[in-house]
Amino acid sequence: METSRHGRVPSGRWLQVGLPASGVAAGILLIAGPFLATVVRSLLAWEGDSPSVSLNNFVRLFTDPRFADAIVNTLIAGGCTTVLSMMLGFTLAWLVARTDMPGRAWFETGNLIPFFLSPYVGALSWIYLLAPHGGLIPWIARTQLGLTMEWLNIYSVPGVIWVLTLFYTPYVYLFVIAPLRQMDAAFEDAARVHGASFWYTLRHITLPLVLPALLSAALIVFVTSAGLFDVPLALGSPRGIRFMPTEIFQMVQYPADFGRAAAFGIVVLTVTIVLTLVQRSFIANRRFDTVTGKGYRPRLIHLRRGGRIAALTLEVFYIGGAVVLPTAVLAMVAFSKLWTGHFMWRTATTGNFEYVLTKYDLTRSAIGNSLFLALFGATMAVCLAVLQSYYLTRGNPKRRALVDALLSLPLGIPGIILGLGFLIMAIRTPLYSTLAIILIAYIARFFPFATRTITAMFLAINPELEQSARSSGATWMQTMRMIVLPLLRPSLIAAWLMLFVIFIRELGATMLLFAQGTETISVAMVILSERSSGYVAALAMIQLALLLSAFVVLRLTRTSISQG
Amino acid sequence: MSFVRIANLTKRFGTHTAVGNVSFDVPQGSTLALLGPSGCGKTTILRCLAGLETPDDGAIEIGGNVVFDTCAGIDLMPEKRELGIVFQSYAVWPHMTVEDNVAFPLKVRGMSKTDRLARASKMLETVGLKGFETRSATLVSGGQQQRIALARALVHEPRLVLFDEALSNLDAVLREQMRLELRMLQERLGFTAIYVTHDQAEAFGLADTVVLMNQGKIETAGPAREVFHRPASAFVARFFGMNVLESRMIGPVAGTEYVDVALNDRVTVRGVAGDGLDVTPGKPVLACIRKESVRASRAASPGSVPGTIEAMSFLGVAEEYIVDLGGVSLRATQPAAGFRRGDAVHAVMAADDWIVLP
Repeated sequence: METSRHGRVPSGRWLQVGLPASGVAAGILLIAGPFLATVVRSLLAWEGDSPSVSLNNFVRLFTDPRFADAIVNTLIAGGCTTVLSMMLGFTLAWLVARTDMPGRAWFETGNLIPFFLSPYVGALSWIYLLAPHGGLIPWIARTQLGLTMEWLNIYSVPGVIWVLTLFYTPYVYLFVIAPLRQMDAAFEDAARVHGASFWYTLRHITLPLVLPALLSAALIVFVTSAGLFDVPLALGSPRGIRFMPTEIFQMVQYPADFGRAAAFGIVVLTVTIVLTLVQRSFIANRRFDTVTGKGYRPRLIHLRRGGRIAALTLEVFYIGGAVVLPTAVLAMVAFSKLWTGHFMWRTATTGNFEYVLTKYDLTRSAIGNSLFLALFGATMAVCLAVLQSYYLTRGNPKRRALVDALLSLPLGIPGIILGLGFLIMAIRTPLYSTLAIILIAYIARFFPFATRTITAMFLAINPELEQSARSSGATWMQTMRMIVLPLLRPSLIAAWLMLFVIFIRELGATMLLFAQGTETISVAMVILSERSSGYVAALAMIQLALLLSAFVVLRLTRTSISQG
Repeated sequence: MSFVRIANLTKRFGTHTAVGNVSFDVPQGSTLALLGPSGCGKTTILRCLAGLETPDDGAIEIGGNVVFDTCAGIDLMPEKRELGIVFQSYAVWPHMTVEDNVAFPLKVRGMSKTDRLARASKMLETVGLKGFETRSATLVSGGQQQRIALARALVHEPRLVLFDEALSNLDAVLREQMRLELRMLQERLGFTAIYVTHDQAEAFGLADTVVLMNQGKIETAGPAREVFHRPASAFVARFFGMNVLESRMIGPVAGTEYVDVALNDRVTVRGVAGDGLDVTPGKPVLACIRKESVRASRAASPGSVPGTIEAMSFLGVAEEYIVDLGGVSLRATQPAAGFRRGDAVHAVMAADDWIVLP
């Protein structure tokens, strides 16, 4: 074959193949690094000065009664939270999607607010509300009603379940509201016409139809709530109640026992990965028999007086417990000179805010660090996610399924476990105790959220839109910049805001990786929680303002969070 | 002289060979239609030409430039191939205005804003979309999106324009109109065009040359009339909707290009011998005739065969009959004649309309 004057190997192709592939490679490295570090460390035991490979760490872990204690408490808390939030989440979603409950439009948004709040602050707020001494509700009960509420103890396993339920209900709500809304009315109408009562139809037709979404939500809620560090730290640790995340945290405090912590990490990792894979295959198998939006939209069910009152009571109970009461008590504590269980105008002050914003180095740098991590981390993770999504939708079809499974792994891994992995990896490197290692850990733990959101949008873009740009003379980079990114924009904004929220409130991974000077808002709250509730509440209010502003922007840009 | 040259092109998807060793040339300024049933590989060839798919083997030359060659390791990126393409989905960018869509090829070539908007505006006028410049591209109808895609494919004056089922999504009236306009536009602007279509009317209406494909191979290729009137194989005859009947060779008619074949024990017809026909008596062969060349008639005429109407369907201006000639069914399309099932008729056919293929 003769070669013409244009006959040379193209140099542009490495960019279009290499850039998405490097995004995938970075993602896999971010997951594999801490994972391998944890595995290796769990198998190393020191006999005197020389390390040897053994199962010693596991033996020591399994024979430790504290291990069994922590596991039992964690399973109870995770299991109860899952059941309760499924019941609450399904009921709220059903009320909003399928009934004529008054104020549905408001509650539709309101039910999602807890999704954007910090569980740690939620737990602190419930301490201010319910603590036996110095809680607002016992104080009201005692002074107004003459009741003592000594039996109501927030520092307990039920206390942990209560706060976790408030925060995980929106997950279930998000999972089931779409199928409830899109369900073909004919399914229910056919049941009613053929003689089924309302309750019989709900139990035997509606519920089974949303069951795939419900079970899939249940697995995610169980895995993530059981792995959450924030709530057990606030409500379990003060009374020595052991949970898995707090136990791992204890193990790496002085005198640190990394081997045993790593062994614990491996146990948790194995369980979460198995559950995540079960959930994935469950979704994959069920995808095509979920109810589709053909035919008529379901009719709205008319609530009678009693039903309306019950529905509104439930909404008030939920939004009151998850949003209004915690925020109110937080504000009271933040503006009080000294919190003694009730608010007094006499001693009201803005001093706490002044102190944490201007005077106190720890809190000032913590706010700066949190903002840096959230702004920079969300941007980097979204960039990474765009490349990965490109690979997952436009790349080598043979490898896509495997890559997708690999990149989804961090979704269920508790932050504390990933933090532990990065700690083991970085402990003898210059990265240790820098903001960079926290940034890397955040991206590693949470980029799959962005990848999922962006991939969903990518799937809706016809590849011919890009191909006609290429044939029009645009390079791959020009096509990305002028066609792909503008079309992806709603999902980029949604993913970015979601990560911003997550990074602003993250605690589990940060607690293991922070050092003096690299504290975040959440870490600063933990450090200050033993000193002054006023400073903590003021910091929490500042964090709340950041989180809610992200929520407002998300609503204004009319983008939506996609789950599943 | 040939403008596009495709040589020994092969493209596999896994174990499936989508295009198997295909070669053809397209002369400068002419139009070629790649015709065939879905999955025959016609779109794959078009995508290989555009650089959207990488062939496994072969070479492609456009306007004297080798854009792809496995031996020489050449594979130009889509944007370096200097062509225009119109997709079935139109692929009009929803986040841009009409004029931004059309001006895009000029923008990426670095033309100034005023120049490219002027050129885009002129091109929009050519395709009949004057006044739509600042409209959002998603707020126009399907037919108008089609024209936007066309204007975008032509605005940078490429010498080769590719059409991937470009008319398939339009309704019948619009498709007819667009076909005539495209033909005129192409003659005026003088670009070389390659159409991919599964619709024979579109292929014949648009193209000088037709390449009919089947299972990744060229079944027949040539001038449109020739391909249509002298089907080269039973597949081609079936694709064009002809009657294809299994029959038995009786023998050649001495001194002519005709042969006699038996459709069954009773019915014998005379037809033109196709290329490569084995005239040994007794050989199984295929007798083919166009539906429009068979006419059911009440009266017998020389060479007609008696039969009965087996079924009929009303097609508007025409009616289609299935005539049973004693175990052999023949389809006939003709102006409405009012026959009904069970009527005794004569099937009238001319010897020149039968073609006998191996």
